[in-house]
Amino acid sequence: MIRKTWSAHEADEWTKEDWIAIVLSPLCYVLITIGAALTILLQVSGYIMLILGIGLTIYMHLVIDPKLKAISNEYEKKQQTYLEELEAKVRWKPINQKPS
Amino acid sequence: MTVTFTFLDWLWVALFLILMLGSGILFYRLGKRSESDFFLAGRDLPWWLPASSVYATHTATDTPMWITGVIYKNGMAGIWYTFFCGWAAISAFVSTRIFRRSLAYTQAEWNVVRFTGLGSELLRGWMAGWQFFMNMFVLGWVGIAMGRICEYLFAWPTWIGLIVFSLVCAVYVLAAGYWGVVMADFQQGVIAFLVIIIVSAWGIHTAGGPTGIIEKLDVMGQLDRINPFAFTGWWSGDFPIAWFITMMLIAFLGGFGMGTTIDWYVEAQRIQSAKTVRDASYSIWWGTILGLIRNSVWAVAILAFFVLFPNITEQSEYEMGWFRLGFDYLPAGMLGFFFAAILAIHLSTISSHLNLGALYATRDLYQHYVNPQASQKRLVQVGRISTAILLLGSFFYGLIMEDITSWLIFALWIMAAGIWLPNILQVVWWRFNAWGYLSSWIANLGFSWLVVWILPELNLIPNLLDYQQFWILMILGALVYFPVTLLTKSESMDHLVHYYVMSRPIGWWGPVREEAIRRGLILVNGDLVAGAEQASRPSDTFPTVE
Repeated sequence: MIRKTWSAHEADEWTKEDWIAIVLSPLCYVLITIGAALTILLQVSGYIMLILGIGLTIYMHLVIDPKLKAISNEYEKKQQTYLEELEAKVRWKPINQKPS
Repeated sequence: MTVTFTFLDWLWVALFLILMLGSGILFYRLGKRSESDFFLAGRDLPWWLPASSVYATHTATDTPMWITGVIYKNGMAGIWYTFFCGWAAISAFVSTRIFRRSLAYTQAEWNVVRFTGLGSELLRGWMAGWQFFMNMFVLGWVGIAMGRICEYLFAWPTWIGLIVFSLVCAVYVLAAGYWGVVMADFQQGVIAFLVIIIVSAWGIHTAGGPTGIIEKLDVMGQLDRINPFAFTGWWSGDFPIAWFITMMLIAFLGGFGMGTTIDWYVEAQRIQSAKTVRDASYSIWWGTILGLIRNSVWAVAILAFFVLFPNITEQSEYEMGWFRLGFDYLPAGMLGFFFAAILAIHLSTISSHLNLGALYATRDLYQHYVNPQASQKRLVQVGRISTAILLLGSFFYGLIMEDITSWLIFALWIMAAGIWLPNILQVVWWRFNAWGYLSSWIANLGFSWLVVWILPELNLIPNLLDYQQFWILMILGALVYFPVTLLTKSESMDHLVHYYVMSRPIGWWGPVREEAIRRGLILVNGDLVAGAEQASRPSDTFPTVE
């Protein structure tokens, strides 16, 4: 099942959805690359690998995208504060802001 | 060979150069607004723009030469060499996310976000200086590749191809900074991808199409060349399985770390220019897969070149194979279009490295160490001056560089071998500290020269295969940085908690996470844990910079 909704604190944790992406992503790269080359050479093994690679890529994105959106939305709220800290650091100024 | 251009051919080239220069003029006003605009396009790009920049930047003039070399020599199995960019597969969902959340302009700046004190500053200064010169070096070797192509095509002296087109590129980089880079990269990426497909398809057709290529390989007794898994045994031969496993391990697991390949430093800028964490992840994932698909197309085109010209033994000659498919077989009037695409390939790489090197010089060296109170206007000025210095330095490097491949491979090993594991440890292990990381760099610089160049030259050790060098360098480095890490203090818990809450790294961060929970900075199941402090004391949550 693909989880569609994430709370802010849930999205910030490393969960099985991340591990699905971590495992599938290299597999997608290999299948698509080798599959594409062998497909151009009209090899049946190439067709199978390419179709499998595209299918896994779609599945991986369906799994990870809702979580990435939640992480992004939550992080955007804090980004300005963190940017101000970064600017203070590069200018050797003290940092004493509270989190937003 | 020399190529004769018609008026139409030169028209293609002129139109392309005008289009590129237009990027500089159009985005001049955006680029000069601030340091953030000049180097990160205001951190506001949708994923497909940095993705196209990832793809375009890593499609350099030496890329088809290098890929042609490994495919011509090893057949389809050579495509595994191109998987050194596979780190992006895992990185897109791990280190890219962590790095984007740090907001650091550069990997050098990330060191002071992750570590503290003198060690972190030494790392920042070292990495910034090294990256400045590394980008100059990359510009030199990519530039000289262009010089070689122009010499091959037009019999021009090498320096003309090296200097003239880099100067054109510098115009839009100086004017619009990263805005100009990324907008030109998008156009260059589209042009380059189309032309790579057209020229490759033309070459495949000329060789008799896919069926014709396979039939000819069969007649030549070389059918194994279409097998990507044609290894030469577990340990022996040119293509052992041990090498394959090492290559895949370095490539993919490297995605848990930052800087595990030289490409990370370019990608880091694209990651920070994306407008959200999600955009950053997709920009890296899609930009890289596009490059891999490009490699697939190239690989088949090189097999076509092989059946057309099977007996070339000189590496420098067969490395030009893909270019020959275009210049030997495309019809009149299309040669200029092909050359314009080669320029697109060249300019996208040059522009990225000019702006990236200038970023390290401006943000990490000038602003942090020379003039911390510099105005935004001044920082953009310094960015432009740094760009010009890089350009001039790259001409010098390019003119003294002769053997592209051996320099490239050595530079990649310098980056990959002894510091591969430390680059991962800095992300996934809370206890790894600045001194451990710094010592790994110093040790790796020494060990790389010894193992790759000096000891074999003195006949003290045999010439090792590259995967053997990797494991030896990794073990030698570990003998230095593990003791250094464990014998020196960990970073302060205040700093680590702050970093953890901001970046939420993966891996072994247990003690830091527990402290963050205790301080009430992280919720468990949506609530503060029993006994957690309210996150109301600034000194606990956001410690003062020492």
